[in-house]
Amino acid sequence: MSTALSTYRRDLILALRMREVPGDRIGEIVAEVESHVADTGEDPLDAFGPARDYAAGFAGGRRSRWGWHELLVAVASGVGGYLVAVGLLGLVGGTPAGPLPSWAALLLGVAIGVPTIGHVRRRSSVIRDPRTGQEMLPVPRWVPWAVAGTLAAPLVVGVAVVALSS
Amino acid sequence: MSDDGSWPPEWMRAALPLCVLAVVAAEETYGYAVAQRLHAAGLGTVKGGTLYPVLNRLEQEGLLRSAWREGAGGPGRKFYTVTEQGSAALAERTAAWHTFAERAGRLLPSLEAQR
Repeated sequence: MSTALSTYRRDLILALRMREVPGDRIGEIVAEVESHVADTGEDPLDAFGPARDYAAGFAGGRRSRWGWHELLVAVASGVGGYLVAVGLLGLVGGTPAGPLPSWAALLLGVAIGVPTIGHVRRRSSVIRDPRTGQEMLPVPRWVPWAVAGTLAAPLVVGVAVVALSS
Repeated sequence: MSDDGSWPPEWMRAALPLCVLAVVAAEETYGYAVAQRLHAAGLGTVKGGTLYPVLNRLEQEGLLRSAWREGAGGPGRKFYTVTEQGSAALAERTAAWHTFAERAGRLLPSLEAQR
């Protein structure tokens, strides 16, 4: 890929992201630019104009509206996370998690939480190349671990505090 | 008539969606081939930045459908075909366009009168 195309592609993705265009649409738009430039041999800037101006022609924000799906995901995430936290704290502190045994709360939380996370990951706004199905901007391998670590840190600290104080 | 094939942008904005729809309705095709067909028809050079938003809008309106196919050694192309709704819209809009062009033409002074 030429430097001009590489730069244009980066600028266009950024501009479309700023306009909250969904990832699958961004993939289509970028692939169209690459395909056209490969056919014509043109500089993408000549053929499509400045990336920010070209991106301005595409409406974004279609996924920002909340519907039943988003509400269900939010409730499932909250309930799953709560049950995991209560179950873990109950197991460490030796106290039952309300009407449920701690292990049952933990299992139920995992059973709700894991499919929810998987579902959100599948529907997340990843930019995929429609020609190959591959991610256009692959995330470095350490990023999911860093995010998981950041989210889990308060829980680990809470469990540690309960364990030390009991 | 424009000698170099360039037309006032507002004329192109009005005519381009119908012309693109007509090109795709004639045969399954892809973006660059549509631009070449428009150029060959004397409508001038249509840049990618103008053409693809038109193709996308026609697809969003349900008048076209598209599918990516692997190219021979290239990165793949997005091929467009007209839908049933697109064919109906083309017939309807073409009739309306001809009526409009005829009425506008009648209002304008004839070329012979200008000479």
